[in-house]
Amino acid sequence: MMEVSKLKKRPAYPFETIAVAIAFSPRLEALLHEAKYYTESFKANLVLLHVGEKDPKKEEALDVLITNIGLPKSKTRTIWMDGEPTETILNLCKLNIVDLLILGALEKENLYKFYMGSIARKVSRRAKCTVLLITNPSVSVKQNKIKKIVLNGVDNPKTVHTINTSVYFAKALKIKELTVVQEIDMPAIALTIAENSTAPEASKIKKEMKDEEFAKINSIVEKIESNDLVINVKNVTGKPGYAISNYAKTKHYELLVINSPDTHLSIFDRIFTHDIEHILADLPCNLLIVHSRV
Amino acid sequence: MLVLSRLAAELGRKVKLPVVMGEIIIGIVLGPTILGHYFPTIQNSLFPVFGNVSIALDAITRLSVVMLLFVAGLEVQMQLVIKQGKAAVFTSLLGMIIPFAIGFAAAWYYPEFFKNEQDKFLYSLFFGTAMSISALPVIARILMDMNLFRTKIGMIIIASAMFDDLMGWLIFSLIMGLMGKGNDAHSVLLMMSYILGFGLFMLTIGKKIIDMSLPWIQKKFAWPGGVLSLSLGLCFICAAFTESIGLHAVLGAFIAGIAIGDSVKLNEKAREIIHQFVTNVFAPLFFVSIGLKLNFVTHFEFALVAAVLIIAILGKVFGASFGAKLAGFSTRDSLAIGFGLNARGAMEIILGTLALNAGLINEKMFVALVVMAIVTSLFSAPFIRFFVKQTD
Repeated sequence: MMEVSKLKKRPAYPFETIAVAIAFSPRLEALLHEAKYYTESFKANLVLLHVGEKDPKKEEALDVLITNIGLPKSKTRTIWMDGEPTETILNLCKLNIVDLLILGALEKENLYKFYMGSIARKVSRRAKCTVLLITNPSVSVKQNKIKKIVLNGVDNPKTVHTINTSVYFAKALKIKELTVVQEIDMPAIALTIAENSTAPEASKIKKEMKDEEFAKINSIVEKIESNDLVINVKNVTGKPGYAISNYAKTKHYELLVINSPDTHLSIFDRIFTHDIEHILADLPCNLLIVHSRV
Repeated sequence: MLVLSRLAAELGRKVKLPVVMGEIIIGIVLGPTILGHYFPTIQNSLFPVFGNVSIALDAITRLSVVMLLFVAGLEVQMQLVIKQGKAAVFTSLLGMIIPFAIGFAAAWYYPEFFKNEQDKFLYSLFFGTAMSISALPVIARILMDMNLFRTKIGMIIIASAMFDDLMGWLIFSLIMGLMGKGNDAHSVLLMMSYILGFGLFMLTIGKKIIDMSLPWIQKKFAWPGGVLSLSLGLCFICAAFTESIGLHAVLGAFIAGIAIGDSVKLNEKAREIIHQFVTNVFAPLFFVSIGLKLNFVTHFEFALVAAVLIIAILGKVFGASFGAKLAGFSTRDSLAIGFGLNARGAMEIILGTLALNAGLINEKMFVALVVMAIVTSLFSAPFIRFFVKQTD
């Protein structure tokens, strides 16, 4: 295990070590197929994390699965650790300098789990590495592979790192199209312009805001070396987090990419849902949460 | 009332005055202060003190205040407060606690001067609340005009104003709930548990129900009538509920507004329609009616007005600036935030009107609060501009 100090300032990519949190559930085989696909694409080492006591029967069943799926044993390690699931996964990721953590996640959870949090959601909020939440892991990964990515181009210093990571991700998986979406929160300005503006004034204010946001994100996108990758830039209006989630769902994107949270998230962030919590409440597709480690 | 207030608002817009100011001025002109003083017969025939017209106007203004608080709730975005994190917490808490404490102490230790004639504790609580509240729409407009709305300072001011509004109305509801019931520990705890219970229910389960219902309503019912009538219907149901359990109706309306406004499923056009409908029809009726109630000249007491103004400005500016400074802002930016939060506008006037109607304050204190609300709203922008370099 490497020193934790090496984690700080480590760039978000390349993905040299990929971890998958596994439970012995019906989705295990599909998740391992996904793990194989990503480790081959990124030429990474694979670490399988299981929280629970090491059980000979489970170990044997896992070995059989690994062999059948064709995961290279020289590049695959399994760690069995007992403890509280969320903390254990987070600690193992830190100790093993994981660059990408893959988790299976339900698209939507019940009311209790929404407020209290499931393991996948809790880990994604706190992980110090990039997290990939897969909503429908499949044994036929290549048939269901990602074709289009949408990325949240929020006005944040992390966004440029997220865009670069997405470009790296797209190139490794041979994805042709990446769309950067800017969310514009209209209610925040609507209350100010609604009362005291004529219709032309209100339209002018809205247009100026949209143009300003567009210019900001374009200035970042223009500097990226995209080669064959087509990068589009779009605006959507609506509540941050919800607008892009809705956009990803209605336009049938296979992957949504966002920044990692800026602050520690608590139950209040679920009661007064905002940003990433809107997305985690109802995953529109697979979700990549990029932790830029800056 | 509607026509004249609209004309006054349009004139005010030309010189960047808040709409509420024009509406109050029309009320003062049409009320006992000017029209009633020089042409009492005309004033009495237009706005009789007794009879059906008076009852109808009273009913409309009571309805208006409920809807105004509903719209105020629609504007509150608690996620914005939470997103701003520590900075907003420090600024809003200290921007609330310090003016509240100063106001409470002033009313407690100088009861005669501050017209604390009845329940000393409740009155002091009210005065503290009145000193700590901010006016979100006025502040938002000022920041927008100065291109500060989407800056860090702008977001902190908006987030803090939202939090202060929320806390201010919760405390005011507690005060209204305690009036006439005594303020022993049991009553206070009971009222607080009602407020917390209702708030928690509406902001968790209530919000989920709203989230599930809104898409269906917006799709199946006539547009925009369906959303409009059902949203306002929910507002009145909640208002009636809180009134029935001993809290003021405005709390129910305010919390209903937060719950609906927070829903991502609420169509933006629907939100704007509700907002426009209330602020352009019922708000003018309410604010004009304030001027109709009393003579602003005979109830103007200079010393009281000056004291209220000084306490309000010093308390809020110092409290919010201190909070912003603790959160890491520079002294100049902290002062800009302090003055930004100092605009009191419509919220202060609504608070004062409710307290006057409930018999908690007298006319002189009410006039002092109205003057303070107007003055702080007018002078907020120049002070912010002085402390912040304006961006293009």
